[in-house]
Formats: sequence, C-alpha cells, structure tokens
Amino acid sequence: MPENNKTIEYDALIIGGGIAGGEAALNLANVGYKVLIVEKDLSIGGKMILLSKVFPTLDCSACITTPKVSEIMRHPNITVFTSTQASNIIKKDDGTFEATITKQPRYVIAEDCTGCQLCEQACPVSVDDQFQYNLVGRKAAYIPFSIASPRIAAIDIANCTLCGACERACPTKCIDFTQTVETYSLKAKTVIIATGFQLFDPTLIPRYGYGKFKNVITAMQMERQLAPTRPFNTILRPSDGKMPDNIAYILCTGSRDKTVGNPICSQVCCMYSTKQAQLLMGALPMADITLYYLNIRAFGKGFNEFYAQAQAMGVQFTKGKVAKITEKENGNLLLRYEDINGGGVVKETEHDMVVLSVGILPNQGIAELFSNDELVLDPYNYIGQSDFLASPAQTSIKGVFVAGVASGPMDIPDSILSAGSASSDAANYIRHLNKKTVSV
Amino acid sequence: MTVVNQNLPKILVFSTEKISDPAIDMAGLLKLHYPPKVYTIVVPCSSAIKPKWILKAFEDGFDGVFIAADGTDCPYGESCVEKTSALVQNTQDKMKTKGIEPAKLRMAAICSVCSEAFVKQMKTFTEYLVNQQ
Amino acid sequence: MKHKIGVYICHCGGNISDYVDVKRVAEEMAKIEGVEISVDTIFACADSSQKQIANDIKEKGIDGIVVASCSPKLHYPTFSSVAEHAGLNKYNYVHANIREQCSWAHSDNKPKATEKAIQIVKAAIARVKESEALETIEVDSQKIIAVIGAGVAGMRAADELADLGIKVYLIEREFFVGGRIAQLDYLCSTTETGKELVTRLYEKIMDNPNITLFTGAEVIEKKGSIGNFNLKVKITPRYIKNKCKKDELLKAIEVCPVEVLDEFNFGITKRKAIYKNFPSEYPQIPTIDSKNCTRCGECEKVCSSIDFSQKEEVLDLSVGSILVATGFDPYTPKENEFGWGIDNVVTLPQFRRIINMCDDKLVYNGKKIKHIAYIYCVGSRQVDGENKYCSRYCCTATLYTSILTKNKYKDVQSYHFTRGIRTYGKQEIVYDKSSRQGDIFLQSYEDEPPMIEQKKGKTIVKINDILTNKMELEVEADLVVLVTGIEPRKDTNISEVLKIPKGRDKFYNEIHMKLRPVETVIDGVTIAGACQGPKNIMESMNSALSAAAKSYSIVNKGKLNLPPIIAVVNKETCTWCNKCLDACPYDAISKISENGKDIAFVNESVCKGCGMCLPVCESDSLELLGYTNHEIENMIKALVD
Ligand SMILES: Cc1cc2nc3c(=O)[nH]c(=O)nc-3n(C[C@H](O)[C@H](O)[C@H](O)COP(=O)(O)OP(=O)(O)OC[C@H]3O[C@@H](n4cnc5c(N)ncnc54)[C@H](O)[C@@H]3O)c2cc1C
Ligand SMILES: Cc1cc2nc3c(=O)[nH]c(=O)nc-3n(C[C@H](O)[C@H](O)[C@H](O)COP(=O)(O)OP(=O)(O)OC[C@H]3O[C@@H](n4cnc5c(N)ncnc54)[C@H](O)[C@@H]3O)c2cc1C
Ligand code: SF4
Ligand code: SF4
Repeated sequence: MPENNKTIEYDALIIGGGIAGGEAALNLANVGYKVLIVEKDLSIGGKMILLSKVFPTLDCSACITTPKVSEIMRHPNITVFTSTQASNIIKKDDGTFEATITKQPRYVIAEDCTGCQLCEQACPVSVDDQFQYNLVGRKAAYIPFSIASPRIAAIDIANCTLCGACERACPTKCIDFTQTVETYSLKAKTVIIATGFQLFDPTLIPRYGYGKFKNVITAMQMERQLAPTRPFNTILRPSDGKMPDNIAYILCTGSRDKTVGNPICSQVCCMYSTKQAQLLMGALPMADITLYYLNIRAFGKGFNEFYAQAQAMGVQFTKGKVAKITEKENGNLLLRYEDINGGGVVKETEHDMVVLSVGILPNQGIAELFSNDELVLDPYNYIGQSDFLASPAQTSIKGVFVAGVASGPMDIPDSILSAGSASSDAANYIRHLNKKTVSV
Repeated sequence: MTVVNQNLPKILVFSTEKISDPAIDMAGLLKLHYPPKVYTIVVPCSSAIKPKWILKAFEDGFDGVFIAADGTDCPYGESCVEKTSALVQNTQDKMKTKGIEPAKLRMAAICSVCSEAFVKQMKTFTEYLVNQQ
Repeated sequence: MKHKIGVYICHCGGNISDYVDVKRVAEEMAKIEGVEISVDTIFACADSSQKQIANDIKEKGIDGIVVASCSPKLHYPTFSSVAEHAGLNKYNYVHANIREQCSWAHSDNKPKATEKAIQIVKAAIARVKESEALETIEVDSQKIIAVIGAGVAGMRAADELADLGIKVYLIEREFFVGGRIAQLDYLCSTTETGKELVTRLYEKIMDNPNITLFTGAEVIEKKGSIGNFNLKVKITPRYIKNKCKKDELLKAIEVCPVEVLDEFNFGITKRKAIYKNFPSEYPQIPTIDSKNCTRCGECEKVCSSIDFSQKEEVLDLSVGSILVATGFDPYTPKENEFGWGIDNVVTLPQFRRIINMCDDKLVYNGKKIKHIAYIYCVGSRQVDGENKYCSRYCCTATLYTSILTKNKYKDVQSYHFTRGIRTYGKQEIVYDKSSRQGDIFLQSYEDEPPMIEQKKGKTIVKINDILTNKMELEVEADLVVLVTGIEPRKDTNISEVLKIPKGRDKFYNEIHMKLRPVETVIDGVTIAGACQGPKNIMESMNSALSAAAKSYSIVNKGKLNLPPIIAVVNKETCTWCNKCLDACPYDAISKISENGKDIAFVNESVCKGCGMCLPVCESDSLELLGYTNHEIENMIKALVD
C-alpha cells in the first residue's frame, strides 16, 4: 500500500501528456531537468497517437508518435503518472510551486502486467470503446488501445461488476481491487500546461442529426476507421456495415459559428478533412468524396499544395452552407445546402455517409487548478498568452507556461514548436530561480 | 513506357545520405512509380564511390549503375562536382578496357527535392538498357 | 563477422504490408545463414517492439540487428539507440528502407515490391554481417553561437541563448535591426507596435554582455563543421564614428545632395545617401550608403562624426552552431501583373508605409483615397507561376490593414477581391470585424483572377464573382492594393555559403516537420522564423525559441560526440602518392613517416567522413568506416543474388 500524501519534488510539472506536453518534457529532460508529466487518461500520446496519417506529409501518425512516447517513458529524467490530475496549485513567494497530485487506481499492478490481454478475453462486460470513439465495444477489463503507453490493462470500475473473471484469468495475478486513490504533495519550480483540446459535441447542432442518423459520424470516428490500429479493416458505414461510396464532409461544424458560442476557426479541420478525403480515395477507389466548405484554410507549409493535390485526385470541393440533413429509409442522407459557387441557390444532394468535421474547443477547468494566483483565459477560454509576440508561452502567472492547443487551435508542427518555446522559457525560469537561491 | 517486367534490367543507384537519398524517398512518398529493379546503396557523398565498386556491380550482374550525385548542393563542398565527374570518367575508362559499354554508367545531380527528375532518369535509363539487351 | 543476427520486418500498420508480403520477406530471411531471428511486426517503432528487440539482444545474444521499415531519416536514430540501450554497439545496427524506396515507390506492382524488399533486406543482412563496433569520437565544441539575421526571430533567439549563458554573435546584413517588423507600425491583435517590439528586443540585447551585434555584416565563407565552424564575416563600414553627435548628424542628413529611392519605404519616398530609416531606429546612428554616396564631402563640413577613413573589414569567427533567421522578401509583382505599373497600384507593404506617413487624410500621389480595392494572393497560390504556396500572413494582415484604415480615415470603403479568406484560428475575429465595418467581399475563381485596367484615367477592377451569382462586377478604385505574399530572400549568398537545402517552395527546409522541425541536414545549422516558410510573429518566435534550444543543446556541454565515420589508412599498402592530400576538402590528411616509410595519416577529429579521398587512391589503401569494401561489395552481391 503506497503511503498517501508523500512529498515529491521535480523541476517541472507538465499537465497533459499529448504531443505538446511530451515534446516539452523531452526538451527539459534532455538538458538535465527532472520532469513529472501528469496525464488524466490511461495512456500518454493525446489525440495524435489515435490519428491515421498526418497532413501535409501523410506520415503515419503512429510511426511518429510511438517512438516519441517510448522515449518519454524510458527517459531517466521523466516520470509519467497516468490516470492522474494536478490540483490546488499554489505559487510560493520564492517563485516555486506546490500542487496536489491525485492518482486514480487502475486496479492493476502496473509493474506486473505483461499486456497479455487474457483479462480482456475473460471479462463479460461490454461497453463503448472511448478510444475508438464508440465505433466498437470494449471490455471493462481492457488495454486502452494497441499502441497505448503504458500498454497495460486497466479496470473500468464504473462498469465493472466485480465478477472476478479477470482476476482468475490473469497469469501474473496483477489485478488488485484493493487499490485506492493515491495523493502526493508536489514541489516544482515551473509548470507547463499542455492540456490540449476537446472535440465539439455535434449533438448541439440537431439539424445535422448526429446521434440520431446512424450514418452521420464525426471526423474523429473516421480518423479511427482510417488508422492503422483501426477497429475494422476497412471503412464501413454504421447502419448496415456496407462500404460507402458517396461520402460528404461538412466543414466548420461547431466552428466559426456564434450560435454555438465558438466564433473562431479551428485551424485544423479543413486540412484534416482534405487529408481524410485523400486517404479515402486510396481506400475506396470508387467512392465520391465531397467537402462542403466556407473557405479552405490551407495556409501552412505545404498545405496549399496538399489541397491542390486533393483536387487533382478528384475530391469535390463545394462552397456551400449545409442547412439541414434528413435521413432516408435506406440510411442514405439528404443534404440541403446553399450553393455559394452556384449563385446561392438552395440545392439537395444525396450521400450514403456524412462526416462532420467537428471543431476543437479548449478543455475546461484549467484555471481552477490554480489556487492563489489567477490564470487568465482568453475570450474563447483558451489559456491566455500574456506576451504572445515575444514569449508566446508565457501565461499570466510567472513561471507557468502553455504549450500546444491549450493556447489556441493549431496543428501538430505548430504544437511541437510551441512546446519548444514553452520548454525554453521554462528552462530559463528554473535557471533564474536556481541562481536566486544560490545568491540568497 | 512499356517494359516487360521479366526482362527488366537491374540498376544499382548510389545515392547520398543528405541530398539525393531524400529525393528518392520523396519519390516514394509521392507514389511516383519507377521500375522496381532499381536498388540503392547510400553513401555519404557521391565523390566517395570507388570505381572498383562500380566494376564489381557489373561483374555481379547489374545491367546499369546510376550515380545520383550531390551536385553543387554537396554539404562537403563544391569540389564534389568535379571529383564525382573525375571518378565517373576514370571508371568509364576502366569499363572500356573490360569491354563494358561506358554508357551503362550514368550520373546526374539529384537535389534533395528532385524526385521527379530521379524517376525520369530511372525510366529513361531502364529504357536505354532494355534496348541494349 | 556476425552470426546471430536479428531481423525485424515492419508492416508499418499497412504502409508496407499493403504492398509487400512482409511474412514472406521474414520467412526468406530466416533461411539466410547467420540469421537467428526473423520476424514481422505491426509497428517496429512501437514501445513493445522496441522492448522485444532489446530483449532479444540481451537474452538471445543477438550480435547484429536489421530493421526493415521506413526511411532511415525517420527512425535510424530510434533503432540504433534501442541497440545501444540493450548493450549492442549501434554500428552493428543496419536500417533497410522498404517503405519510401519499396512499398510506396512500387505500390503499383505488389509482387515486384515484395521481390525488391527481399533483395533490400538481404543486402542489409550482408552489410550487418561485416559491420564492426565503432566508438564515437569526442571533440571540443565552441560554446559560441552565430545568429544570422537580426529580425524579430534572430533577436529573440539571441536573447534567449545569451540568457542561457552562451556567447552570441548576432550578424545583421543591414545597418539597422528589426527586419520586416520595423517597417510595420500597428500589429494585429495587440496594442504593441512593431517599433515598440523591436525596441523592447533591442534593449534586452544591448543589456546582455553575452551578445555582440554586428551590423552591415555578411557571412562570406564557412569552414569546419558542427562544434567548430569558422566563419568569415565581411563588415561594411558605416562611415560614422561610434561616439557621434546627434544634432550634427541630423544636419549632415539635411545637407547631403544625393537622393535615392528609399527601400525601407518600398520606393514610395526618397532618402539621402546618409540616412536613417526612421527617427527611433536602432542602433540610433545613421549610415552612409557607399553605393550612392558621391564623396562630395558636404556632410563632413557640418558634422565631425563622419569618418570616411573607415575600411571594410573581414572578421574570423569561430562558433559551435549557426542559427539562421534571415527572413523573407515581400513578393514584387511582375510588369503588368494585376495592373502593376499603373500609378495608383501599390503593394500591401507600400500601403502600410503610406498609412504610416499620412496623418489625418489618406492621400496618395496628391489624390485623396476613398475607394480601396485589395487584390489578394498576388504572388501566392499561383495557378501558372511557381509560387504554389499560401503566404499565410496576408489575409489577416490585409483585413487588419483595412480596419486600421477605417479607424484612421472614417470615409474609406474597402473592397476585398479574395480567393477565399484564410483567417485561421483566432484570426477569424479580424475577418468578422472587417465584415461588420461594412467591407465588401468578392471572390474570384481559382483560374480566373480579377483584372485591373485603366479606362479614361480611372482604375477599374473587374471580377467574375463567385459570391454574387457569377456576375461580372466592376469596381472603380482610387487605390488598388496588391496583397503581395512572402517569398524567400532573393539574395542567395547565405544559402550558398551554408548549403542549406530548400524545399519545393524554395524556403529553407527542415529535416522533418514533426520530428526535427528546426534542424537542417547540415549538422549544427538550425533555422528559425520566416526563412523557413511564411509565419507571423508569434509563429516566428516559437520557432526561434525552439531553434535556440536546439543550438544550445549542441554547444552547451563544450564537448560533442561525433559519429566515427572517418577514413582510415592501410599502412601496409599505402605508398604516399599524395593524391588523397589534394582530394580532402578539410585538410585532414597529412604525411607521416612510420618504420622508415612515408604514409598518409588521417586526423580523426578533422575528418568529416565525406570519403572524397577514397576513389583517388590508386593502391586502394583508404577505407571509410561504415562503408568498407567488405560492406559495400557484400551488399552489391546480395542485391543481385
Ligand atoms: C480529427 C482530427 C484530425 C487531425 N489531423 C491532424 C493532422 O493530420 N495533422 C496535424 O498536424 N494535426 C492534426 N490534428 C490536430 C492535432 O490533433 C493537434 O494539433 C494535436 O493533437 C495537439 O496536441 P496537444 O498535445 O496540444 O493536445 P492533445 O492531443 O489534446 O493532448 C492533451 C493531453 O492532455 C491531457 N489532459 C487534458 N486535460 C488534462 C488535465 N486537466 N490533467 C491532466 N491531463 C490532461 C489529455 O488527456 C491529452 O492526453 C487533427 C485533429 C483532429 C481533431
Ligand atoms: C505587410 C506585412 C504585414 C504584417 N503584419 C503582421 C502582423 O500584424 N502581425 C504579425 O504577427 N506578423 C505580421 N507580418 C509578418 C512578419 O513580418 C513576420 O512574421 C516577421 O517579420 C518574421 O520575422 P523574421 O525575423 O523571421 O524575418 P525578417 O523580419 O525578414 O528579418 C530577417 C532579418 O535578417 C536579415 N538578413 C537577411 N539576410 C541576411 C544575411 N544574408 N545576412 C545577415 N542578415 C540577413 C534581414 O536584414 C532582417 O533584418 C506582416 C508581414 C508583412 C509583409
Ligand atoms: S479550419 Fe476550415 S473547417 Fe475548420 S473551422 Fe477553420 S474554416 Fe472551418
Ligand atoms: S493568406 Fe490569404 S492572401 Fe495570403 S496567400 Fe493565403 S489566401 Fe492568399
């Protein structure tokens, strides 16, 4: 039984183990600082580890993420706590920080689990798999996904019936239902917030029928279907398991839309939709793919060329605003849209599958983690950048930095550069603190 | 170009780590196809290729050798251009004495993004070698 | 000779296995003598596979490893460090590229792709058999970094490095710092002006004793390599004494009779041969433009600070790493391109200078401006031209300019001739604001750009508009602003000296956008800011700080471990003909006498492993470690077997 409220000490606390947090951790660790990553999920890697391929180079996302992730896990200067959150972060007068770290039990002895999956086979409970964005089911005793890190089992206690099947199946006897929440008091010199984003919930736009019409899915669900660690071995439409041959994308779903409270552009959905369209052309050579868009934001290095490549491959780009989707008996979908290129007339087209290019939103509740100093947010609830021209990672609290999408929408290359900037600033902050303590 | 696969000539490409090999990689990335009997050996710089390696390739059964040279982009300095041509010249002289057609050794500068140029070179070289057969 | 070899064939989650029969490749390899293990794996780079490889090395005594997967540029470092961590020398690891150079290149021919993969892996096995354990070479590294370009990116990087305790040479070609930002007044989404930002950065730099700023300075030669670069920097004199009298200098500017077009204002105004770009510019000393100065001596008469005796100097600087932040050029339209050449057609940067210079009335060429037509994507997203890329900053910068203009001069009306507005992310708010102030938006077809023509002294913009039912529309404009994009710097001097490769868009190219985004293939040279591709200030800063961190990690220990890929001499056969001496571009080879015989000697800390000496040796007495005759010849044989 671990003793509770043990005091632990690190140079840097990194909140969030996505690509931004991971990159910042590696940068700091490589110049000799001790880093603690707290990740609320069961695996590090964030959204990126779940993606298929990445624009604009079409590199396989897993191939880039997994080696980084294993470097993080192996690094002597980095400690990773999964299923863990930080709270009650206090800035002390000497410029250092204290925080409470709360680790939820996994009900599996991490050191002993070999990831053999026998518990998974034994478990009788089946629920939606959140890592496959509910496309398929998983067990209550499960390994999050095949390239998860750590790749060990966990018990989803909310759905577990305590039948004990997994305990009996486990060859190393590592299932342990007596585990409880562990807490630690952390001392750290700097904090990096890399909490990333959540996806827009498309049920907030009822006209698109997400959740009601089976063949309306989100882009993240499509991303999973296209990924190498995909749930099926091909692209299927949910209503009848047929391969779709006429797919529509609706861009700006939940972005650039004041009616849902998100006036800004999500910066990645144009490109990820263009990417998925290209991948679909490869996977389903006969399929027609249409993107309904307002403007295509192909702004970054290689993006416009990538957009042109998709057009050349035959992806249809239609400038139009989709007003409403209705479902036909055979599961096909009718899109009513204003055809802007065609003079603004209202048109209707039929597709057998619709993908909503959902926007990205900041994670909530980050400011509340800080107890005595105010972490200022921007008007859209991203972490505010107090000197965004000269030190883009600086937040309203000195010594607290932000990396990746936590500060605003951005793609992977930009997240990595922003992590570089956060770690640079954080390293400088630590050094100045260290100097001060020496001179005191 | 229509070349029957069975009789495809075997081409050995010497590419360079920093300049031409990335271009050959990019050809793959862009799925620009070229004849499948093209094999590469990567060296640091195109002016580091020994004539005896090239002769050995012909001896062992390669039909053609292509040097994907650094050209003026060479990270080790511009003298690469002149040194690579010198070694090509030297090798071709040796090929002549051995009765190997000197044109079976080709060289072209392939910059780090010259993937299309590379593919074109492979296609025309293959075509040439087929006609020689 | 290795005889317990481990071979791992990666599916790459389908990227390889969709075209190559990886199981068959693994089976074929298992038959080869000396191969102990040959298996396929879904992701060789995944943590679990890495662990398996490490376990095989430790438990099964594997003495050589081949991983057949993606390009070595991606994962050579990954697997060689797996080998190293497991206790195997990393040079007993060989990487076989069966993705970029096989499965993808031949995705049109699956059987042949499989055959080729078999040959490639066979060759890798042949090579690993001959591989030798090599130890890295430790060299001292200069704890000094050269930052080239003192725009915002360069200045911020210099500041960061100096703060980290590193000595920095900040080398700026112009006589003033700040780069493009100095030319901008108001900046989007902030109350700080470009000048204020430059001032803030400049003051920090001047405060830091670790930084030496050179202005009028250009790198003309680079020798050496990572850890120990030797740069020759040419310093053009300012012809003004360092301790100068300000009011006398103002007088000097007044009396100078030479007038030339002012590049800082993009040629819309004139300046003298002795000049400052604007009053509060840094360093706050004017300069004499020697190209245009006639040496008439008028300035000398009124100012004691002028010093024509100053001479051009060439400095030798030794540095451990080079950070390049040379920025961009605004695109210059071609004759007649979108009406370029008509007197009321200007570029966006010029227009920004015009607003800066007009106080309460917007006047250009003596004419009051009311209707402004902005033509987007000039020099970017070209259908026919070479610039296929989007310049990223300009949609936002233009909309912001239009808001600025409206705030300053209430009665202007802006028309935006766009190709689809790209105000990505939070910049969307700028788009929204400009729409709400009554700006009018029109959008052309990709292949049918708007036309600018003159009719009876009026400038007319014509467009076939997507947004209004494909109507042909005409707008009469008092001023046409061409929204010119960003281009790589025109002068190629620095790229020739440093040999930094460029991408398809002709900007400097990083090694890998996601894995090594600020490094170039020239070891020790990093890139930051807009020289790498279009970026706004925040994005430039992020890359500047990332590049600073990278360059820092190269020099901070004062020691570097370099790859042991160097040339070695066979003392038996060498007869010292001195051909290799001439071939070596690094002067790494010298003559020594051993046992009464003259032979060649390679200085291992100077040798860079290019191998240029190999082919010139008549007696074949030189070998490059890692590329020995045995290794290469075995590979050649395996490829045709
Ligand atoms: C469908 C889709 C496709 C995409 N495709 C591409 C592409 O092809 N190319 C590209 O460049 N970009 C793409 N992106 C964008 C890319 O996903 C992001 O740029 C990237 O994931 C951002 O990384 P991050 O680390 O900032 O955030 P995240 O990936 O969101 O990581 C944040 C991490 O923090 C954790 N966390 C959150 N809150 C807390 C807390 N309070 N305590 C502890 N941990 C916490 C989360 O669990 C998560 O692991 C795509 C995005 C989507 C939605
Ligand atoms: C009209 C316009 C409006 C803009 N508005 C905004 C805005 O509102 N907000 C925003 O964020 N961004 C804006 N930008 C973008 C911004 O200008 C760039 O992000 C920024 O200038 C990039 O900085 P940099 O340091 O990389 O390059 P630069 O500013 O180009 O600086 C490069 C420096 O390197 C020097 N140099 C070049 N070659 C050499 C050499 N061989 N040797 C030595 N020195 C050399 C140059 O003289 C220069 O000083 C705007 C750009 C334009 C054109
Ligand atoms: S990136 Fe494209 S789809 Fe996403 S919000 Fe912006 S404009 Fe809409
Ligand atoms: S940012 Fe806008 S104006 Fe600039 S090139 Fe891109 S689309 Fe055109």
